[in-house]
Amino acid sequence: MRIQAIAANTFRETIRDRVMINILLFAVGLILLSLIIGDWSLGQQVKVIKDLGLSAMSVFGLLIAVFIGIRLMVQELERRTIYILASKPVHRWEIVVGKFLGLASTLAINVVLMTAALWAVDYVMEGRIDIGLIPAIVLIYVEILLIVAFAIFFSSFISPTIGAIMTLSVFIVGHLSDFLREYVEIYPDQGFHWFLKAVYYIVPNLEKLNMKIAVVEHLEQPPHVFAYGLLYGLAYLSLILMLSILLYQKRDF
Amino acid sequence: MAIQTEQLTKIYTEVTKGGLVQKKRTGVRDLNLEVKTGEVFAFLGPNGAGKSTTIKLLTRLIFPTNGRAFVMGIPTARRVAMRRVGYLPEQPNIYGYLTGREFLHYVAKLCGLSNTDARNQAEILIRQVGLEGRADSHVRSYSRGMTQRLGLAQALVHDPDLLILDEPLSNLDPIGRKEVRDLILELKKQGKTIFFSSHILSDAELVADRVGILNMGKLIRTGKMDALDAARTSSVEITFQTDETTRARMDLTHWDAVCQDMNIMIRIEDAGDIPKTLKQIEQWGGKLVSVIPQRQSLEEYFMAELGR
Repeated sequence: MRIQAIAANTFRETIRDRVMINILLFAVGLILLSLIIGDWSLGQQVKVIKDLGLSAMSVFGLLIAVFIGIRLMVQELERRTIYILASKPVHRWEIVVGKFLGLASTLAINVVLMTAALWAVDYVMEGRIDIGLIPAIVLIYVEILLIVAFAIFFSSFISPTIGAIMTLSVFIVGHLSDFLREYVEIYPDQGFHWFLKAVYYIVPNLEKLNMKIAVVEHLEQPPHVFAYGLLYGLAYLSLILMLSILLYQKRDF
Repeated sequence: MAIQTEQLTKIYTEVTKGGLVQKKRTGVRDLNLEVKTGEVFAFLGPNGAGKSTTIKLLTRLIFPTNGRAFVMGIPTARRVAMRRVGYLPEQPNIYGYLTGREFLHYVAKLCGLSNTDARNQAEILIRQVGLEGRADSHVRSYSRGMTQRLGLAQALVHDPDLLILDEPLSNLDPIGRKEVRDLILELKKQGKTIFFSSHILSDAELVADRVGILNMGKLIRTGKMDALDAARTSSVEITFQTDETTRARMDLTHWDAVCQDMNIMIRIEDAGDIPKTLKQIEQWGGKLVSVIPQRQSLEEYFMAELGR
């Protein structure tokens, strides 16, 4: 109940966030605009549109997750609204989880709106909507939530700006994870070999949550690929949230 | 006991110069404080004395470096302690995008009230703090006084036994201050314990039963308000009238006396000497006009205490 109250209040706060609304409008606009861009790619319009739409969802979702996620706890601290919140009979973990769930709800609405825009374009092009995109969209959403968890984690001990940079770095490095592993295997004697190896093991492999090409190209995928990606993402997300809770548990406000 | 602290200490560690230098700063040190149930306790001290640090320790916003604190007999280390405490932060900041009613409803839910109870409680408190006309306006449009009253309402939302108010009267206009003072007295009548910090001494004088004076993180004095009044009495001036004949017979050489026409004012340093002095005046045949204790202003007393 307390978590629900905190989540509802966070939802109310973030859904009115101007940065979020602007990014969302831009993303939806871009997806709709892909009708024109798709025209430039002969014979590949539908694939290009779907690919562009899913990428837009991922990138703009990431931007919202970073910019709002990083401010989620920081604003409470800077505006000192945390004094009232944390002095009530609530657990610190309820605050972190409640705030996370509130933003997760806002992001769910974003993903639904972007999906609606993508399907609208798809309908115009194909006369039907491609529900085969759903697994990729679900994994994009989980990836965005994972980024939010990282943003909350970093914001618990470093400044918002550095936290935002670190969170963006997780996204970039997370998508280069396979490349990183190959690099370490090919050049094992590099001086910073241990560092790259550590980064590889710490940062989640976000490519495990990437089914964009598979769904756009209609590639045959065994069902466990989606299930594994989903579990991998949720497990990582839980771990990062738990670490954030540990940091906030003993933090002075 | 509503509040009890044992050797409560908070040392802040501040990291400066890019994380290279760690600096220690004392918030409060070895604080032993007791506030009885049902009393209004004013926690006085200049800015930076450690009042807010103590309050944050009592409300679980920060954690002690050493020592323990109890509120209503429950260790503050336990979350349930906060069920018995209502807290008003200094210059409370409230979510501007919520209306006063939405905010109180939200806070009530945080305190575990059901939807119906939360709504009812919000309604009652809106009336109690006089926000009926503005309850559905966004908090960002509230004046400072209105925000303060809403802050007080949120502290009362779960009907706590103990109210901890951080500078509840600062930054308010005279009318706002009177309203908050009246509310404190009203809450006292309802049997609540009120612990408030202030650097405005006249506030304490008007509402407090007991005071504690804190300076540089250390509690330097606690006492009842009337004992404080007595401590502030620096001398007593006794004025009496006499006539020419009597005046000629009087020997005032051992007295700190000032004569003006037929009026004589005697100043004594110790209030315990009043009966003896009055007896002497009677023997002289003087006619008593007034006995006026001369008090240090609260500010003078406070400065003297801090200077110890």
